[in-house]
Amino acid sequence: MAPIVRIENVVKEYPLGNLVVRALQGVDLSIDRGEFTTIAGPSGSGKTTLLNLIGCVDVPTSGVVEIDGDSTSKLHDKELTRLRLHKIGFIFQSFNLVSVLDLFQNVEFPLLLQGGLTKKERELRVRDMVDKVGLTPQLRQRPNELSGGQRQRVAIARALVTKPKLVLADEPTANLDSVTGLAIIELMREMNAKESTTFIFSTHDPKVMEHASRIVHIVDGRIHSDERTDFLSSPLAETGGRAEAQAAP
Amino acid sequence: MNSLSYWAVLFVASVRNIFTHKLKSAVVGLLMCFGTGLVVTGTALLDSMEDSMSKSITSSLAGHLQVYSAEAKDELALFGGMMMGREDIGRIANFEDLERVAEQVENVRAIVPMGIDIASITGGNETDRVADTLRTAVAARDQAQIDLLRLQLSLMADALRSEFEAKQAITADKEALAADLQNLDRLQSDAFWLSLSDDPELAIQFIETKIAPMSSDGLIVYLRYVGTDLDEFTKNFERFEIVKGEAVPAGHRGFLFAEKFYEDHVKHKVARDLDRIHRQVHEEEKTIAEDALLRTKVGQMSRQYRRISFQLRPDDAQNLTSELRTMMPEVRAKDGAEPSLEVLLQAFLEVNDQNLDERYAYFYESIAPKIELYKIKVGDVMTIRAYTRSGYLKAVNTKVYGTFNFRGLERSDLAAAANLMDIVTFRDLYGLMSETRREELEQIREEVGAAEIDRQNAEDTLFGGSGQSLVAAPEDTAGFDEFRGQDLAGIREDLAEAYNQRFDAETVARGVALNAAVVLEDPDRLDETKAALQAAFDRSGQPMKVVDWQTASGIVGQFIIVIRLVLYVAIFIIFLVALVIINNTMVMATMERTTEIGTLRAMGAQRSTVMTMFLFETVVLGLLAGVAGALGGALFVTWLGHVGIPAGNQDTLIFLFGGPRMYPAFGLANLAVGLVSILVVSLVSTLYPARLATRIPPVVAMQAKD
Ligand SMILES: Nc1ncnc2c1ncn2[C@@H]1O[C@H](COP(=O)(O)OP(=O)(O)OP(=O)(O)O)[C@@H](O)[C@H]1O
Ligand SMILES: [Mg+2]
Repeated sequence: MAPIVRIENVVKEYPLGNLVVRALQGVDLSIDRGEFTTIAGPSGSGKTTLLNLIGCVDVPTSGVVEIDGDSTSKLHDKELTRLRLHKIGFIFQSFNLVSVLDLFQNVEFPLLLQGGLTKKERELRVRDMVDKVGLTPQLRQRPNELSGGQRQRVAIARALVTKPKLVLADEPTANLDSVTGLAIIELMREMNAKESTTFIFSTHDPKVMEHASRIVHIVDGRIHSDERTDFLSSPLAETGGRAEAQAAP
Repeated sequence: MNSLSYWAVLFVASVRNIFTHKLKSAVVGLLMCFGTGLVVTGTALLDSMEDSMSKSITSSLAGHLQVYSAEAKDELALFGGMMMGREDIGRIANFEDLERVAEQVENVRAIVPMGIDIASITGGNETDRVADTLRTAVAARDQAQIDLLRLQLSLMADALRSEFEAKQAITADKEALAADLQNLDRLQSDAFWLSLSDDPELAIQFIETKIAPMSSDGLIVYLRYVGTDLDEFTKNFERFEIVKGEAVPAGHRGFLFAEKFYEDHVKHKVARDLDRIHRQVHEEEKTIAEDALLRTKVGQMSRQYRRISFQLRPDDAQNLTSELRTMMPEVRAKDGAEPSLEVLLQAFLEVNDQNLDERYAYFYESIAPKIELYKIKVGDVMTIRAYTRSGYLKAVNTKVYGTFNFRGLERSDLAAAANLMDIVTFRDLYGLMSETRREELEQIREEVGAAEIDRQNAEDTLFGGSGQSLVAAPEDTAGFDEFRGQDLAGIREDLAEAYNQRFDAETVARGVALNAAVVLEDPDRLDETKAALQAAFDRSGQPMKVVDWQTASGIVGQFIIVIRLVLYVAIFIIFLVALVIINNTMVMATMERTTEIGTLRAMGAQRSTVMTMFLFETVVLGLLAGVAGALGGALFVTWLGHVGIPAGNQDTLIFLFGGPRMYPAFGLANLAVGLVSILVVSLVSTLYPARLATRIPPVVAMQAKD
């Protein structure tokens, strides 16, 4: 089976006044289905740029980005949007929930965009997903009534509710304290295991990195190292879950 | 296909966004609310006004349609146009032919012939009147009356002399003044009164030519009149009603003054001023003490005392003097002596808030019956003069039967802009002759040896040929000048006495008119009938113009169009401003929501979804604000409909309002127009910001840091 993400000699340049910033300078990367990969690297190394390309919210200057076999450079905005809708889930650093919608509606939203499910099926899906992230009691609350950790868990539910093949998270723990952050990573790991969804997330927190099964290091827009840890579970997972429970009673 | 829930959630998000972005919604909502209210109120008021005005115009003078010659050089302007009533609207050669065609057209109730023109009437001044009475007295050898008149003239001379003496110091033309004073001396001399028995006419002419011009209370009034079939007019213009006197009997020649015109232009000046002051105090709740303008008016009125004293017969003057002395014992002459009548009258007219009612009553009870309250009284025969088309002054005598009003428009000058006259007299005055009269003239001309003038030239010769200029007709010879150079004394007599002649319905129909008013059975089918009538005239070979009342009424009719235009322009400008403000506010709101929109796009929302959300927001806000504004406007109009909008003394307003107050009402159409226009405006103003929103790239979702 082909890899879910295949990147070949990708270059991404940003114009900056008269200059051109080369954020990625020839990246080759292949990610298989079910992997739990982190992209690590110092600030400005090109993590976000890479994730944007994988997430189809941007296209490379040159090179090939293939998602589930489709090359993104040939696609128009409409098709890219459809691809994102059906194959990719996003978890953002700042959670990015729709503030005027409640928890349920936020999670339901991608399903509505997709269409195709009955109201009942949708409700079951949403409730199931919310239950998995442990927020059933907050089902009708609005984002501003939730803590940061809770919000990111809503975001995870929202990213996963459509059962995407690929979930991208750009520094999902950066806006959370370390204990909550680890709990979020643990939840993602759990989802990765249960739903066999491919996860790619970026971070520069070494503690968070440890939880990944594969760590891709980039420096200055180039892949510096690519290692598989085969690290599957961590004792921190248990303590992290408890800590999160304590942090948000 | 998107599910209902998809739309529902977008809708919910939009509504919540409206209430979340309070400032933006408040600004935009208020603008929309105000805009809708304005459109509803404005259009409702205009519609009501148009309705009222249409009733004013159609039921007073115009009828629903007007017909006039297709050869007209100018456009018909019933209530006066650019040409000040001297428009050349051609002529309808034989009204009967027109009538026959019009009566065949369905929905036509009546067609009334008309001829509109400007004329002048004169009433001599006081001295003239005394001279006239003197002439009769001399002829009747009534010495007692002659003595009385001598006394009256002598009093007038005294008054004039004291005025001139005061003037002497400041006048430049000292010679003329000296001549005037000399003439006054002569009037008061015994020699003059002795000469009266030798050559009375010479003496009386001296009074008429030398004394009368010294006092300036003569009357020349210019008026507009409509010559028409008075019977038909009365029958078909429902608002017409007689106020003073009686209607002109069928088949009689005669004149009817518009009541307001009569009161404003023919009534005694002092009475008119007093009426006005009385009305302003009582109807407009002004006080003389507080209103400077009103005080000036009182001052002006009190200086008009001579208009009363000149008209009083000596015995009446004496009685009035003693009555006023008793009434106002505090009034003294300058030197402290017993005050003269003139001093007393001036003091009497110096009214204030306390004594106004009492003096007003006294004036009408004790003074008015002794003076000429109207220069031309109901029942009088007056001479009316007009220039014919070719520039000749023509005059006829006509009897004043009474005055009339159009109900509800009693206070409107515009409605009173035209007085009424029978059409037969109009034809005489306008220089249009009936077939019989033309034949008569022809005969007489032959008798006096003017046979070389052929028939074609007859009218030119009679009514002034093209070679003769306007100045050729001297105004002071109040005769029938178009007959000059020809010995047509017989016709002169004939015309002067014409007011006594009768005519039959056929004479009315069979003859010239300038235009004709068409009254319809069902005014709602005006356009349809107009077309039918036009077609009928075209078929009959009589080229006629058929215009609706609005066009026919000239400037006044266009007025509503102008107001409508002004309103639309105002609304347009307000909407334009609203558009810009809404647009800017929305653009700012869009900027604030960049992350949210980017997130939605990253999650897989298409551009169309973003557009839908924005449009939903505007439409929902537009509807909420629009309904509120429409309701507000409707409530406001309903309230206005209860209390009425006063036209005040604004003549045009009275006319536009169809009466002293307009009670506007709104229709569903007004609400619909208000709502639709605000929705259009809000949608248009959202297009740009919404498009901007759809251009937000999904990448921004990733860059968000808060
Ligand atoms: N839109 C842009 N325009 C211009 N330059 C950009 C743009 N986005 C990123 N860059 C530049 O590209 C390089 C890589 O940026 P990127 O955001 O991918 O780094 P990063 O690894 O995500 O950094 P961080 O850890 O700070 O988020 C940086 O030098 C950055 O300044
Ligand atoms: Mg980054």
